[in-house]
Amino acid sequence: MTEPLPAWSEPFADPKHELRRSLRVRGVTRDWAWGGATGAGVRVGIIDSGLENDHPRLAGRVVDNVTVEIGEDGPTVVPDGPHDMYGHGTACGGIILGLAPEVELVSIRVLGADLRGKGTAFAAGLDWAIEEGLQVCNLSLSSKSESLYPIFHDLTDRAYFRGMALVSAANNVPAPSYPSLFSSVFSVAAHGEPDPWRLYYNPAPPVEFGAWGVDVPIAWKDGGSTVATGNSFAAPHVAGLVALILSKHPGLSPFEVKAILASVADNPGRRRRRAARP
Amino acid sequence: MVDHGTDAALAALVAAARRSDVGRRLSGDVETRLLQSIVDATVQLFDAEAASIALFEQDPDRLEFRVAAGEHGAGAVGLTVPPTQGIAGFVYSTGQALALSDVADDPRFNRDAAEQTGYVPRSIAAAPLLDEHGTVGVLQVLDKRGSPTFSLRDMELLAVFASQATVAIASARVQRDTDRLLRSVLIQVEPDLDAEQVEAMVGAATRELDVDDESPFWLLVDQVARLRSLTDRETALLTDILEVVAAHAVERGRPGRTGP
Repeated sequence: MTEPLPAWSEPFADPKHELRRSLRVRGVTRDWAWGGATGAGVRVGIIDSGLENDHPRLAGRVVDNVTVEIGEDGPTVVPDGPHDMYGHGTACGGIILGLAPEVELVSIRVLGADLRGKGTAFAAGLDWAIEEGLQVCNLSLSSKSESLYPIFHDLTDRAYFRGMALVSAANNVPAPSYPSLFSSVFSVAAHGEPDPWRLYYNPAPPVEFGAWGVDVPIAWKDGGSTVATGNSFAAPHVAGLVALILSKHPGLSPFEVKAILASVADNPGRRRRRAARP
Repeated sequence: MVDHGTDAALAALVAAARRSDVGRRLSGDVETRLLQSIVDATVQLFDAEAASIALFEQDPDRLEFRVAAGEHGAGAVGLTVPPTQGIAGFVYSTGQALALSDVADDPRFNRDAAEQTGYVPRSIAAAPLLDEHGTVGVLQVLDKRGSPTFSLRDMELLAVFASQATVAIASARVQRDTDRLLRSVLIQVEPDLDAEQVEAMVGAATRELDVDDESPFWLLVDQVARLRSLTDRETALLTDILEVVAAHAVERGRPGRTGP
């Protein structure tokens, strides 16, 4: 690094130097955490632009599609078609299934058409996901609306106390963005190493985890595929790992899952020194 | 609006509105100039084929490409796309920066819009322009010459340029949007006013601003804007002349603006 990167992916741009501190809990290894797990029994919500149920990368794993309608009495959650307005939700779903092939995906569409990414639709979708009892939710979007701050704060607290893991893409722009800045969510930024299993824990939040988010081959609209870069594509890698852990260890709290991820992260440190020993 | 206090407040508002409008006129289109300099720098730094900035406009909702740079950028200016479509629409809607490669191979990419500009990119990176209320637009870069894809560092740099653009827009918009300026000031100093009262006061203060653009007053403002290249001595002379003319106008009891 000749000069510092300006925003929050910085720690993951050069993990060898930035992420020396790491927690290792004896016995908490990747094999213990998710060895043999497939994600079976875990329902993962994708709050995004929809899911294209028949996309080859989604392999028939979508079990429900809903969207938010904003009427005069406020937002309501209604059934949605098996489509994706941009391809972005499908991309996230495909990444999660790449790690946890047997999770069930639930599409909660809050983007596209009349919604235009309205914060209230986002909040209503998240509210629904919590009430529905989904174990994991991927949020590769965020709201900048100050007025929604207390609403998202309440929602993330409620998710946390109900044991639901909210995995949120950090914003590349260092400006307030909710709920990715709340401490209870799994906030994720991108690293550039092309390995879906490579995970970094950042001991200096607000961004807590780094996952692959540069030149990621992704599913896209109308059965297509492309190559993409963004924190949006890092978050689903972590959502996939969380789903694996919960499938093997049902009922763990978000706090416990975070501690496990920190323990098995690829941060250089003790494990690196140990690996160097003969 | 009956007592004297309100009259005085209205007079102050009228003066503020007029000053704001004159300021806007005198400084030219600051926003476009600043945004242009940002896309120029973006193209240079990324060594890209094109860069552009689209801003969100209402009625109807759209993203309008305001400035562009680079060998293949010019065609984008003036183009509008729905905020629900394409990469720009996605980035606008989610507030998330994003880069895609191989987009030219993908028939589902918002090709119509790309073809209208006369240039279909292979790769595209886009970052949201975020102010404290939300996303106001999108900064896009098409095709880095040196690389088929965008790196993490590229995305971070793009975010820096995007925040520059947001600052430029915010400062220019305060000047541009007199109504919004007055409204926000009124609400802050007098939180008890209801929406209708605020609208009535803003309406009263700006009523005279929207009249004929060709009126002698505005022609004068335009002339003054062109006088910025005068030397100090010339400016001093002009100020003296204007002072005499203004004093004459006041003596004749014609305060305020002259015009048809």
